[in-house]
Amino acid sequence: MSKYILHTNSLTKNFKQQVALNKVNLSIKKGSIYGFIGQNGAGKSTLIRIVSGLANPSTGSIELFGHSNERELIKARKRIGTIIEGPALYPHMTATENLEAHRLLKGIPGNESVEKMLVLVGLQDTGKKKAKNFSLGMKQRLGLGIALLGDPEFLILDEPINGLDPMGVVEIRELLKKLNQELGITILISSHILSELHLLATDYGIIHKGELLEQLTVEELHEKCQQYLHIKVDNPEKATTILETTLSTNNFEVMPDGVIKLFNDVDNPGKVSSILVNEGLIIEQFMPMGQDLESYFTSRIGGAHHE
Amino acid sequence: MSNLIRSEWYKLKKDRSLWALTLLLILVSVLYPLLILFGGGVEVVKVSDIYQLTALGGNDLVLRIAPCILAGFFISSEYSIGTMKSMAASGNSRIRIYFSKLIVYTIGAILIALIFPVVMTGAGAIYFDFNDMPGLGYFVQTIGLTILYTAAFASIMAVFATIFTDTGKATGVMIIFFLIFDSILYTLSDFIPLFEHVANNYVGKLFLDIVNIDAYNGGEMVQLVLVPVLTFAVFGIIGSMLFQKKEIK
Repeated sequence: MSKYILHTNSLTKNFKQQVALNKVNLSIKKGSIYGFIGQNGAGKSTLIRIVSGLANPSTGSIELFGHSNERELIKARKRIGTIIEGPALYPHMTATENLEAHRLLKGIPGNESVEKMLVLVGLQDTGKKKAKNFSLGMKQRLGLGIALLGDPEFLILDEPINGLDPMGVVEIRELLKKLNQELGITILISSHILSELHLLATDYGIIHKGELLEQLTVEELHEKCQQYLHIKVDNPEKATTILETTLSTNNFEVMPDGVIKLFNDVDNPGKVSSILVNEGLIIEQFMPMGQDLESYFTSRIGGAHHE
Repeated sequence: MSNLIRSEWYKLKKDRSLWALTLLLILVSVLYPLLILFGGGVEVVKVSDIYQLTALGGNDLVLRIAPCILAGFFISSEYSIGTMKSMAASGNSRIRIYFSKLIVYTIGAILIALIFPVVMTGAGAIYFDFNDMPGLGYFVQTIGLTILYTAAFASIMAVFATIFTDTGKATGVMIIFFLIFDSILYTLSDFIPLFEHVANNYVGKLFLDIVNIDAYNGGEMVQLVLVPVLTFAVFGIIGSMLFQKKEIK
């Protein structure tokens, strides 16, 4: 049994002259919350639509739960729940009726699953109120309830927190965490609200102009986003010796251009600079640096811009 | 596939356009014979005349308009409100999704198409003391053919609704198409012989002939039955092929 729920193999999608996805090799581990990051038009929704069976790839293939042929993929999709570009609701139906229509569609026996889902997403008191009169947050929660019908093993959520108020965002985040941690549901979540993804995701994929630039775990991201002191001196070798002896640390990296990244004493730059100066080194550059997910993402796609 | 049909049936029962059309047509069916009774100045009214001339004759227009509206709301709206995405991603094959939708939509169209022949004739029978009722055999045969021709129309309309994916656009285009297509076909048939053949075997033309079913021989009857059956099958296959290739947005 593969440890991956989803794997795409050189997935490419062309729209006439435009390349929407270019040889994307994406892998999502079982049990992870995969934050799919990209600007509008980067290719997130296109990939999600192909995985969900709404569009066909131009070339390449997908493997879902280890299945890759068309017939098996259709069956495998019974094990996923989706919200794609907003919740798909029947506006003239109530929450119960919407869930009932989807319960029948998925062939789930008994209507106790509908009651259970209404409670889970907090819509049990909406009564005869039609979905068209729901707030955006209620619509999103109902969409999530529909996606969760049939106990899916893999949730695909395209911009599920778009337009939600802060309380709504927190509610959805907590619900998704609970589903992942308590029920082991793997989640692919695309969003351009990176601060929110940062609180949720265990893995990340960065897509830009149809190309998957990078996949990394949250640990790798933290490592890359770690705060450090950026030090450039006239004699890097001497500086590293001073750091090892005087500051008693080897928690630094020397970059090919001689820049030293010191990960200790980030909060005490004065102490570090005075030690180096006292040892007779000339400091050319000295500044605290570091990134959050947003700046890391910007630097990645910024880099891609210049390539 | 039964789960898909059950889901579609559930949605059809909740479809407001179906109920609005049904109520409107029932209202017309009940009131129109009353107009004849009170305002027509006719001394002896035959129920068989009401059945043939008004219920079956008037049903031609109903069949060209009402199922278009239903198709717009029941099929095209699934695309415009985005629910077709969850259907397509539900782990059911596209062919099954299409045919379950088509079957249930056809049932809805048939319910609408039977209101004039059944309710208007029933109302007429009550108002005119069951005077000269249509023969049972004739009634059953024409009802059966109405069902077949409605299914054929529904199959064509489902293709339109799948192509246009917007309720208003789909309904508008379909109504215009079904109102003027016959005229276009007859005009073309004056110039191109092939179109004459199409015009003579088109469901829109043959449907008008079912009122004269008593006068037809065996061969004509076969044609009258076979054409709508083939139309339903051919357009069902065309629609399902289109749906399979369709990128759902």
